Amino acid sequence: MSWILHRVDDRLIHGQVVIAYGARLQPRRIWVADDAAASSPWERSLLLSAAPGVEVHVVTLAEAAAAYAAEAAAPGGAFLLVRDLSAALALVEAGAPLEALNLGGLHYAPGKTKVNEYIYLDERDRAAARALLERGVVLDVQDVPASRAQSLRALIPELSAT
Amino acid sequence: MSAGVPALLVMHADLSAALLRAAEQVTGPIEGVETISNTGLSRADLEKEISKHVERWPQGGLVLTDFWGGSCHLCGASAARGRGEVVVVTGLNLPTLIDYLHNRDRYPVLELAERLQKKGQESIRLQRGVAA
Repeated sequence: MSWILHRVDDRLIHGQVVIAYGARLQPRRIWVADDAAASSPWERSLLLSAAPGVEVHVVTLAEAAAAYAAEAAAPGGAFLLVRDLSAALALVEAGAPLEALNLGGLHYAPGKTKVNEYIYLDERDRAAARALLERGVVLDVQDVPASRAQSLRALIPELSAT
Repeated sequence: MSAGVPALLVMHADLSAALLRAAEQVTGPIEGVETISNTGLSRADLEKEISKHVERWPQGGLVLTDFWGGSCHLCGASAARGRGEVVVVTGLNLPTLIDYLHNRDRYPVLELAERLQKKGQESIRLQRGVAA
C-alpha cells in the first residue's frame, strides 16, 4: 500500500492534510521532505507533534529520495509532503519516481500570479511544473478530497507548449 | 470589562470574528481581543501576522486557536517561540472564550491558559434525551 498521497503544500502539515485527507485516507505515516524543516530542531519538533496518532518523519529531500523505495514497500499508507514544486522536482531528480502530485496549497507571495484561490505560481514554480510534466508526472490541483481535482496542465495550457 | 491578559484569536475562515461576535451577544461589547483568519496565507505570512501582535505583549498573552495540528496552531507556536509568557491554546470554543473574558484580569498568563484548558474540556458535555 504505502504511498497514498504526494502533496505540494507550503503549509506542510496542517488541517487539510491531517483532518481532510487524513480522515479519508487514514495514513500510518507522514513524511515531510523539506531541507529547512529537517535542519531546524524547533521545526522538526513542531511537525513531529502536529499529527497525533500518525508517525511523522521530517527529512531532507535527499533522505526522502533514499527512503522512497523502502516506504513504498512498507505496510500501511503514507503521505509525502513537500513545500513547493522545486522541491518536488529535486526529489524526482534525486531518484524518487513520483507519478502524480497533488497541488494543495501554494499561497500568494510577491511575484506570484493566481491560478486559483489557493495556488499562486511564479516563474520558478512554472519552470519546475514544466520539468515535472516533461518527466510524465501528473499535476492535479485539489485542496481537499471533497473538491474537484483539476489538471494544472488544463488550468495553464502554456505549460505544455514547447 | 477591563483588559488583563491580552489575547489573539487565530482560526480558519471567519471563525475568529464570528466567535467574538457570538461572545459579545452573551457578554456585551468586548475590548482588547484581536482576530486573524488564516485564509489565503502561507505559513510564513500567517506566522508574520501573528508575530506582529504578540511582539506588542511585553507581559505575554494568549494565542487562541481552533485545532491542534492546524496552521493556526503551528504558526502560533512558531510566533510564540522564545516568548515564554505567550501561550497557544488550541480547541477554543465559546464557553472557553467567555471564561477567558471573565478571568483575564484575575490570573497571570500561564494560570489562565491552564484554566482555559480545563474549562474547554469540561464544556463538552452530553445531554441525553429521556424516553417519554
